[in-house]
Amino acid sequence: MKKLVSVILLFFLIFWVAGCGGSNEEAAQEQVTAGQAENILQKEWAEIEKLAQGTEIRMFMWGGDENINRYMDEWVAPQMKEKYGLTFTRVPMDAPEFMQKLLAEKKAGSQKGNMDILWINGENFKNAKTNDLLYQPFVETLPNYQQYVNQQSKNITTDFGVPVEGLEAPWGKVQFVFLYDSAKIPDPPKNFAELAVWVKANPGKFTYPEPADFTGNAFLRHLLYDAVAVDKLLSTGFDESFLEENARPMWDYLNSIKADLWRGGETYPQSLTQLDQLYSQGEVYITMGYNEGRAEPLIKQGVFPETTKSFVMEPGSIGNTHFLAIPYNTPNPAGAMVAINFLLSPEAQLEKLDPAVWGDNTVLDIQKLSEEQKNEFAKLDRGASVLPEEVLQKALVPEVGPEYVDWIKEKWMHEVIGAE
Amino acid sequence: MRSLGLNNHKPYLLVLPALIFFSLFVLYGIGTVFAESLNLSLNTGSSIVKYYIELAEKPGFWSGLILSLQVSAAATLLSTIIGVYLARQFYRRVPDSIWHALAWLPMLIPHFAAGYLAVLLLSQSGWFSGLLAQVTLIQETSRFPVLVNDKNGLGIIVTYLWKEIPFVLLMSMPVYRRMDWRYEDVVRTLGGGQWQVFKTVEWPALLPVLVETGIILFAFIFSAFELPYLLGVTYPKMISVMAYQWFYEGSWSNRPLAMALMTVSTVMVLIVAVVLLGLIQGKRYRMMRGR
Repeated sequence: MKKLVSVILLFFLIFWVAGCGGSNEEAAQEQVTAGQAENILQKEWAEIEKLAQGTEIRMFMWGGDENINRYMDEWVAPQMKEKYGLTFTRVPMDAPEFMQKLLAEKKAGSQKGNMDILWINGENFKNAKTNDLLYQPFVETLPNYQQYVNQQSKNITTDFGVPVEGLEAPWGKVQFVFLYDSAKIPDPPKNFAELAVWVKANPGKFTYPEPADFTGNAFLRHLLYDAVAVDKLLSTGFDESFLEENARPMWDYLNSIKADLWRGGETYPQSLTQLDQLYSQGEVYITMGYNEGRAEPLIKQGVFPETTKSFVMEPGSIGNTHFLAIPYNTPNPAGAMVAINFLLSPEAQLEKLDPAVWGDNTVLDIQKLSEEQKNEFAKLDRGASVLPEEVLQKALVPEVGPEYVDWIKEKWMHEVIGAE
Repeated sequence: MRSLGLNNHKPYLLVLPALIFFSLFVLYGIGTVFAESLNLSLNTGSSIVKYYIELAEKPGFWSGLILSLQVSAAATLLSTIIGVYLARQFYRRVPDSIWHALAWLPMLIPHFAAGYLAVLLLSQSGWFSGLLAQVTLIQETSRFPVLVNDKNGLGIIVTYLWKEIPFVLLMSMPVYRRMDWRYEDVVRTLGGGQWQVFKTVEWPALLPVLVETGIILFAFIFSAFELPYLLGVTYPKMISVMAYQWFYEGSWSNRPLAMALMTVSTVMVLIVAVVLLGLIQGKRYRMMRGR
């Protein structure tokens, strides 16, 4: 037995020693990489493009949508190869998972990772920023950002209330809409009061994903905005006692409709996927989603009924921007910047907006485009289920900080579920 | 006899690869989880078990833990009983090739696929509900009993039964084959019935295998995530789902709680395993001594 123990100890010792050696080497490397990084950001753009020529980049992104994956693999990747000689690889992974990976790399002192671009926003960006997981501010260096993006817009300069400070480049924006079957609901509700009337008249035909889910939480934030105006929330800042006092109507509302929700409010869909499934089977008549164009591909695939349309309600429709960031330990910062700049080009943004491709709204300021480019954007038909741009623009309300997401999650368990 | 004492070390060297694997992946994993579940920033004057205290006060923790225990115990016991019953029935009557196929088919389907199958077949807008409404046994599909996403975890238990009964069958069938059936003749000659045969001939041989199978099943069901996630309800949530959500949610503030919860479930599984194994160890000893 003693020998067994000593053998194990020996092994741990070996690993430990090996580990120490590694981190010393990496510390030395860290200085080298840091020095290089500054150089790259000071270089002329043409020179950065030259550096990127013939290199490889790996983009880590959520891979749950076939349309998005196809856009990246079949349109973006070949274009990058042709234009910049970049070999582009898409790695499908949920944002919390690659953030976890990056955090683990940071803890281990790794200076050379294998991720070059990350698709993030909101809480993931906040985590990344507070833990210093991102590359230096690079956004201003990108020519397409300088030329086409409205740098004053709150949608561009903040991400869920967190200042972006050049650490991530905007890629697309989405807005929250409700989807309904126009064959079953001729006249969709215009505000939460009307929704409550409809729910009472149609018991079991409405529900929302629980707030641990991204979409369910966004739904509840609309209700919060209904109780307290969003401007008031933004000017007050996150303040729990203020919310306790003023957000009461929100919980009363939820409890008042609870008995007439799907399954009598005994349980809620754990994810948007589950709500979508209920909608596609006709068990509920309304679903929702944080993307104004998301119904189109689902209608085409026959998952949603052809009579699916969308609506927004008072007090508005929450919208947010999603971003592209570069991790602190990218092996190829030049390649990453060239790739991000390309993704921000009018042609890549136009292709992305096409509902047959992805249907994701552009972050470019249409006013800054040439007449020809403007026309092309105007020509694009986003589909019958997508609301006109004026309606969306008029309803657009900003996001509040990620603290609200957690607050709603916890509070909902107490107020609506009555968890002890 | 011993040249350089090498022979003395040989057994250890032979188990070394397994040992390295075990210590690197299993022990290191458990150790890391445990370490991260502790509050090591002691300078703030807070307790080292701060996250465990927080966990105990977390809404939904106790009801979730109880649900997890209930579902795991029910699914384990029922699949063991039904599995053994089927093994007894199949042993003499059903040819090997047929029960093999019957047992392997559900085993080959992953748990999450079984979960989706349960939703498709058993939900209120599912296949069975539609069928019953079609033949007008129920008036409308919403009259169909709630079998998935129900508060008592019925859907979860049923789906686990479908997956685990074949496992019990596969584990207990070899025992039946190796059994010395001359003992059955002895019992019968002495006037014993079916029950006597089971109790005195089959049970002693089955018990050690069943206890091991039971521990495997309990440990798996207690900590598995996919079925409770697909078939569970908002409240109470089984602890595996809770740990997963805390670990993967956007903000990392609940991470230590997820780690504490995983430590708690590891300890619970270990306790169950030790108690059950202890039971049969005593039994085996007595059997060896001829009671």
